[in-house]
Amino acid sequence: MADFDAQIRESQEQVAAAQAKMAEITTRIEAARGRLDQGESAIDIENATLQDVQKQADLMNANIAELIMGLDDVTAGFSAEFQEMRSKTGMESLVGFFSSAKSESMRQERLRAATIDDKLQDLIAKSDVIVRLLQGQLDSLNVQKGRVEANLTATLDEREGVVASLESTRGDIAAMDPQIIQLENKISVEQDAAARTRLETDLATLNTRHNALVQDEQVLLAKSQTLERYIEKGKTWVDSLQNQAATQLVLINKLQTDTKQRVVLYDALTSSLKTAQQQDVAHRINEIGVQTDQEAQAAMAAIGVATNDRMAQMLESHEDHMVFARQVLEAKAKADERFARRFAAIVEKHDKNAYGD
Amino acid sequence: MTEAKAALTDDHAELYDTLVARRYFAKFDQISTHLSRVAAELEGEGRLTRTETRVLGRYVTALALTFRALSWKYLMTGRDVGTGRLTFDRHESGFPVAQELMVMAVDAAQATKHLAGMASEAELKDRMVRQIVGDLAVPTKLQFALSQRLYYEALALGGLFLSRNDPDVQWIEDIADRRHYLVHWAVYDTQTNLPVVYLLNLHDSGRKPLPNDDRRWPQAQAHLMAQSLDGLKLLTIAKGFDTDFPDLHPKRLRRIHLGPMYSHSFTLQSGPISDVLSTARAPAGMDWALVWTIEDLVAERVEEVKDGWFSTVERQIYTLDPFAGKGAETGATRTDRMVILPERPYQALAELNPPGFRDVRKFVVGANGRILPQR
Repeated sequence: MADFDAQIRESQEQVAAAQAKMAEITTRIEAARGRLDQGESAIDIENATLQDVQKQADLMNANIAELIMGLDDVTAGFSAEFQEMRSKTGMESLVGFFSSAKSESMRQERLRAATIDDKLQDLIAKSDVIVRLLQGQLDSLNVQKGRVEANLTATLDEREGVVASLESTRGDIAAMDPQIIQLENKISVEQDAAARTRLETDLATLNTRHNALVQDEQVLLAKSQTLERYIEKGKTWVDSLQNQAATQLVLINKLQTDTKQRVVLYDALTSSLKTAQQQDVAHRINEIGVQTDQEAQAAMAAIGVATNDRMAQMLESHEDHMVFARQVLEAKAKADERFARRFAAIVEKHDKNAYGD
Repeated sequence: MTEAKAALTDDHAELYDTLVARRYFAKFDQISTHLSRVAAELEGEGRLTRTETRVLGRYVTALALTFRALSWKYLMTGRDVGTGRLTFDRHESGFPVAQELMVMAVDAAQATKHLAGMASEAELKDRMVRQIVGDLAVPTKLQFALSQRLYYEALALGGLFLSRNDPDVQWIEDIADRRHYLVHWAVYDTQTNLPVVYLLNLHDSGRKPLPNDDRRWPQAQAHLMAQSLDGLKLLTIAKGFDTDFPDLHPKRLRRIHLGPMYSHSFTLQSGPISDVLSTARAPAGMDWALVWTIEDLVAERVEEVKDGWFSTVERQIYTLDPFAGKGAETGATRTDRMVILPERPYQALAELNPPGFRDVRKFVVGANGRILPQR
């Protein structure tokens, strides 16, 4: 599967690229926070950069979704194997032309030696590679999210402090207004020049203080707004990270469910093919030996019952198998539907084989 | 996700909680020490030879190592995202699902690569101490990294019970011009999710000794592995082998199921064993019963059968259980069931005395892990 390996490598590169971009954004957010502490108010994370990262992540996810669908091609090999178990080879058909018994025994021998274990192992290994890829991406997303969230928590706390002092400053300003009005009223009715001068000095002091408070209010307001903008950006980034993490989880789940079901299903099918076709023959052969036995009488009775039991067992197990197969199909349909919802566009392209349009 | 899986694999359960997962592995760690004692007990009774006990003991040890490796892998279950969860079969098995072992085989193939890229145990512990003292935080991530390191170390060490353990051969004796071998192999059955050991007594009339025969031995190995399905009766396996290899004569084939394990707190069971375990109300660590089944198929005589125009071959005729007609057809000469259980559940079993347990051999685990056989 050179094709599969090439695809894996391509995906690995894209994951690395996406992670680099993400790390860059997180670093920028952290750097901006550092500058905020120094009193700068510019934040240079533009929406365009976020979109750029998003685009990269989408590209990567599309590629991985591709990869998961590529596994279907890997599994196509299984159905060929099952078909071989069911039917006769060319040689067997040729022999069957002369002796149907010999042809049947050749097929039985082939069936006894047939195994799909290495194929199953291959399937598990391949899906494991993809899961690790996805898991790595998910871990990195969570790390980034953790960093930004810790940062945001501190910032929110700081903003709360700023807002609180803004409120108290505003309260102070509001409390000063009646004092000033009172003083002004007093000045307007005061006749004594000395007292009037003293009152005017008081008013000037109060006004200076009022102006200082108003200026403080402006500064605090600006700071609060900057912090708010910063928090907005951070939140957008956390949201985007969370979205990506959800996508990764959907991909991992789809893949794991698929693989789990495939392994169980293929294994059950092989087992049932081998069991049904061999058991019958083996008993027939051994019973020929037993028939000529001195205890033929007792054994015959036992075999009569045993054969009935065996038929019943076989029928029952067939029913189990059918129920099981149906459950598998239902489960697969559900997982597929969820997958399709999320990756409708890619699925459509894949189905139409319309790449590069 | 859970919905889809629930529909497909009803009897597969995942262990979410750290403590539950650790208790599960502690239980198996304890049980596996009893298994080899029971094998020794059977040897004392003359049911197994010294060689067979040793072979069986090796598989039991391998199984214990596998469980230990898995317990490292899932040590941090539920403590962090991405720590993974153990899936086990809770109905008529109690063992991890076969896929766990398949995944482990994949991991084992890459163990050295992983170990090369990991920090050493001492370094990880040093970093843990730094994080505890410096950041005043629980170093969950480092703990997980260390558990994974121990897991890969266990894998690199080898000697594990894998999903397939290819046949090995042991010379027993020479009988006239034939050689008598004990061929043994083990699989983790993917349908029932149980470890199964096969013992085959084989007479070899070929010119070259079987283990040195580059023509027959690899073929015989592949054949036996491909036929090791739980759904196939012993008779089917033995007959098929007898037919496909004219100068190998399977005289006796035994299949030993090491399970299922029942536990009131972990598995779902129906029938008398369920009542026994719930009545026992045993404390943690004492709440289990392990069933062990030995199927035995013996050849009673040999017939000469024409093969082609000029030659004849031997065909083994096997003794079938004369009472097999009463129940399900077993395809074996005899089937022995044994149950290993601690004192509390045994007491409940003796008091309830449920039907169907009379001809089951009981082994009771006494104080200090002593095994007491009971009728």
